[in-house]
Amino acid sequence: MSAETSTDHRDEAEVSAEQARDGRIAVRLWAFIRPYRVLFALCMLLLPVASALSLLQPHLIQLAIDNHFVPRKEEGLGLLVLAFAATILAEFFLRYAQIYLMELAGQRALRDLRCAVFAHIQRLRIAYFHRNPVGRLMTRLTSDVDSLQEALSSGVVTIIGDLFTLAAIVVILLAKNWRLALVTFAVVPVLLGVSFVFRLLIRAAYRVLRTKIARLNADLQEAVTGMGVVQLFVHEEASKAAYDEVNRDHRDAAYKSIRWDAVLYAIVEMIGSIAIAGIIWWGAGEAVAGYATLGVLVAFVEYVQKFFIPIRDLSQKYAVVQSAMASAERLFELLDSTEIIEDAPDARPLDGFEDRIEFRNVWFTYTDEDNWVLRDVSFTIDKGERVAFCGHTGAGKTTIIGLLTRMYDIQRGQILVDGVDIRELRLRDLRRRFSVVLQDGFLFAGSLRDNIAMRAGEVDEARLREASAVVHLDRLIERYPQGFEHPVRERGVNLSSGERQLVTFARALAHRPDVLILDEATANVDTETEALVQAAVEALLQHQTSVVIAHRLSTIEKVDKIVVLHHGEVAESGSHAELLALGGLYARLVELQYTDPTRRGADA
Amino acid sequence: MSRNRQLLRYFVKSWPSFAAGGVALLATNLLALSIPRQIGAAVQHLRDAADTASIDVSAVESLAWTIAALALGAAVARVVSRVFIFNAGRQTEYRLRNELFAHLTRLDRAFFERSATGDLTSRVVNDVTFVRLMFGFGVLHVVNTAIAYVVVLSLMLSVSPKLTLYSLLPYPIIFFTVRLFTKAVYTRTQAVQAQLSAISARAQENLSGAMVVRAFAIQDRENDAFRALSDEYVERNLALARVRGALMPYMGVIGGLGMLIVLWLGGLETIREGITLGEYIEFSAYIVTLAWPTMAMGWVLSMWHRGTAAFDRLGVILDAKPSVAPPATGALHLPAISATSGEIQFEGVSLTYEDGTEALRGVDLTIAAGTTVAIVGRTGGGKTSLVHLVARMRDPTAGRVLLDGVDLRDVDPVEVRGEIGYVPQDPFLFSMTVEDNIRLGERPGSGLTVDDAVRIAGLSDDVEILSNGLQTLVGERGVTLSGGQKQRVTIARAVMRAPRVLVLDDALASVDTRTERRILDELAAVMKGRTSLVVTHRFSALELVDEIVVVDEGRVAERGSHEALLALGGIYAGLHRRQQMEEEA
Repeated sequence: MSAETSTDHRDEAEVSAEQARDGRIAVRLWAFIRPYRVLFALCMLLLPVASALSLLQPHLIQLAIDNHFVPRKEEGLGLLVLAFAATILAEFFLRYAQIYLMELAGQRALRDLRCAVFAHIQRLRIAYFHRNPVGRLMTRLTSDVDSLQEALSSGVVTIIGDLFTLAAIVVILLAKNWRLALVTFAVVPVLLGVSFVFRLLIRAAYRVLRTKIARLNADLQEAVTGMGVVQLFVHEEASKAAYDEVNRDHRDAAYKSIRWDAVLYAIVEMIGSIAIAGIIWWGAGEAVAGYATLGVLVAFVEYVQKFFIPIRDLSQKYAVVQSAMASAERLFELLDSTEIIEDAPDARPLDGFEDRIEFRNVWFTYTDEDNWVLRDVSFTIDKGERVAFCGHTGAGKTTIIGLLTRMYDIQRGQILVDGVDIRELRLRDLRRRFSVVLQDGFLFAGSLRDNIAMRAGEVDEARLREASAVVHLDRLIERYPQGFEHPVRERGVNLSSGERQLVTFARALAHRPDVLILDEATANVDTETEALVQAAVEALLQHQTSVVIAHRLSTIEKVDKIVVLHHGEVAESGSHAELLALGGLYARLVELQYTDPTRRGADA
Repeated sequence: MSRNRQLLRYFVKSWPSFAAGGVALLATNLLALSIPRQIGAAVQHLRDAADTASIDVSAVESLAWTIAALALGAAVARVVSRVFIFNAGRQTEYRLRNELFAHLTRLDRAFFERSATGDLTSRVVNDVTFVRLMFGFGVLHVVNTAIAYVVVLSLMLSVSPKLTLYSLLPYPIIFFTVRLFTKAVYTRTQAVQAQLSAISARAQENLSGAMVVRAFAIQDRENDAFRALSDEYVERNLALARVRGALMPYMGVIGGLGMLIVLWLGGLETIREGITLGEYIEFSAYIVTLAWPTMAMGWVLSMWHRGTAAFDRLGVILDAKPSVAPPATGALHLPAISATSGEIQFEGVSLTYEDGTEALRGVDLTIAAGTTVAIVGRTGGGKTSLVHLVARMRDPTAGRVLLDGVDLRDVDPVEVRGEIGYVPQDPFLFSMTVEDNIRLGERPGSGLTVDDAVRIAGLSDDVEILSNGLQTLVGERGVTLSGGQKQRVTIARAVMRAPRVLVLDDALASVDTRTERRILDELAAVMKGRTSLVVTHRFSALELVDEIVVVDEGRVAERGSHEALLALGGIYAGLHRRQQMEEEA
């Protein structure tokens, strides 16, 4: 948001800086166009040829007037008519070919850009998503790419064709009668001045407009996702009012851009007619003096019309290009975001996990050093060991997972796998050592199979079935006629939260990780299922290194080691028995959990 | 209502703008189209001068000044017309988006479950844009073309009726051939838009699941899938371009043909002195003027087809009927809240989902006013469905649900929900401040302040830690808060309501036992004399409840106190034993 608003308030006088920016953007766009440069070049070649054909037409009319109409000579007119017909037909085929080739090249280049942006988003660290709403990123991938698409297939290349047409007309007119040509072009500086001023206004208006549409999309996106809550709390009117406000802002910004657009368009049109008036005013003298034939005068009028149509369209296309440039700027801004957790240049592969994971004096904060989430945390997880983390809500348990899988980098200390700092390891290798069951069982649209296997070719049928059986998902799958092919809708809304959890369990197991991570995963499954899952997971992971984060102490007391976190620090650690004997925080937690609920209720 | 009637409705809503724009367009055309006659007159002057060897230069000069004046007038009228008509397009877009949004707020849970979020937003964002273009540019060019044709035709006829007839010969061809284009443009546009929706939905999902994508390192799979969708998008766009790309050059040919005929037949006429050279010039200028609106029509036609295709896609939202709706006539009201409010009765209630799943089968259950009832049972047994019915998130397929003696279907769902404090399974927060999220549940006269709600929900410590306390902005979907914190904010939100019925739909799942105990104690005080439904998996929560209802396979299997159910030795006892054993193991 801040980046977007700050550009709005930028001093509009910094024209040269903006042009430099446009230049930079163009250079970067070229990188995407380059693979299709042959197609683009072909387009470029077709454009001047088509223009030349259309510029031949006024000359043919001049010939008709001077050689046939004025001297009243019919002979030879048929040939001129045929030539005229030929230019029309040829122009049609050339323009059609040009438009299609442009679309072909443009669509492919923009597909590459869209995919590049998407791929870049895949590399962004998770913290980026905390600050950038999904709706805004969606605008980048759809609206912004589309506005570039519109520019590419209608604007930019035809501008180049237009410029050629303009230059050709200047040359033709100067050659036909330079004095009259100069009179005609007298209006050009005025035209350029006016365009220049309005260009700035339009550019500013479009920039505001794009900011507003991003806002509008983000708001809509959120409202649609949270509509259930809106309705439950009878908040429809307020949320309609809020949407109306953003919508109105967007409309008003659009009104402004329409105003400048319309004025520029009209002025350019007017100047074209005034140029014709100039031709008649000056041309009368030239004609009387015999410096210009009537045919030349008429041809001038025709050429001037052909001269001002592209100039008029230029201003319109300029608006398209402006909006495209603004979009491109945002896209490249996103592509440039360096919030990537990337492999070090000499990152080492990690083929397996042999020995131990160690947190060595780890300090971590999501925001700034006043808000440490973890302070000086140290512990080890040996191969085959099962380690549980417990503590109150907000003690930093979940954060451990983010750090272990390197979703975040720590500020101080080291996290070591087999003695190597994880920042020196290949990220992908590191993450593939783990299977994580997250708090909210996130499912993708697709089949149950896709959701368990995740990547094609890595999980075979046997493992799929085995994992599903272990977590008792098989019972559920039997209920569906299509079995593993049962469709899962977006976010798994057609499954209950317990079912979703079972699927994420199966997913984690099917990947046969070196380390299994369970994050509060058992909380949403009913007691019966939970007991079954628990037993199964234990059986399967007899010799499996695992990290468990749960509120239910019963699920973790059989682990080898328990780390109790309190306000971001390791309060105590040891086995269940050791910690009970210690009589500290853990012992108190256990006492709370074990108090027989019914007896307590009776006492109260 | 047919699509065209609906479109007309939007058009009529903005009629003053469209009318003003239309008048301005007429003025623009009348002024601008007077220019060719001045040019023709000037050429004729010069032609005559060549014959008579004498010229009245001031007459030609005054013609030049007339042209300049006409140009100025046309420019003013042009600005006015464009501003009015394009603004009307934007106004329509604004109105349409508001209507879509308002309709979305009326649609029920089932609708949102079967629609992908990205697809819905893509319709409201992209498709509305195409409808706007149809209304703005589309209307401008249709009106402009109509006016230009009428004005130009009358001017042409005044010069030479015969030449007019010949030069317009190719124009009927437009209307026949263009029809060939239109159908293809329409269907191919729909295909393109559908693919764009698919891309949006995919991206949306990927962004929402960013954590899982990274944890399982499936970026390659995601990139491949996205690329495949993008490839298909390119193909569909090209299929569209093959048709639409021909349209503009084709219109150019039509315009050129008119010129050709004038050059040929008009030329012969001029040579044979049927018309003067000035008239020839004037006439050919008209044909040129006509070429542009004719070409624009081709553009408008494709815009019309894209716009109507997009509008049809909006129908998916606008025509969707919520299954939960206010009663058609004579809505009843719930009795005023008293010391004994919140009695809930289920009478032979069955619920079958759209996909045929039977969630509830003939449930008969009365929950006494002012009690706290726990609903337990296996996953998929129907617990959540039961509480959804109470908040009228769905209506039963058979039987009825009564709150304080009134069938819920006879009451406006908005009134029902106003009486329910619902804490859903998945805590959803809006990207606004913590306080605003809690205030969502605010209800005048509840006597509760935000601070009360924060305390009751056990959120006080968390609020202290947050950088700006209650004013801390939570990100989209509240990502910066932990799961437990989010859940407690949603509890505070429900408590703010001081509801007739409080529903905790497995809402304490990601809170630790100590916090859970604290929250339940606080809630017990607030909910005194009101009804609470607690869907839960955890037996530690059951000490505070008055009654336990066991739901299994869509039926009420058992009910009673903890002791009674244990003594019964049924499903409840089984579930309890398992949890117990596991805790003691």
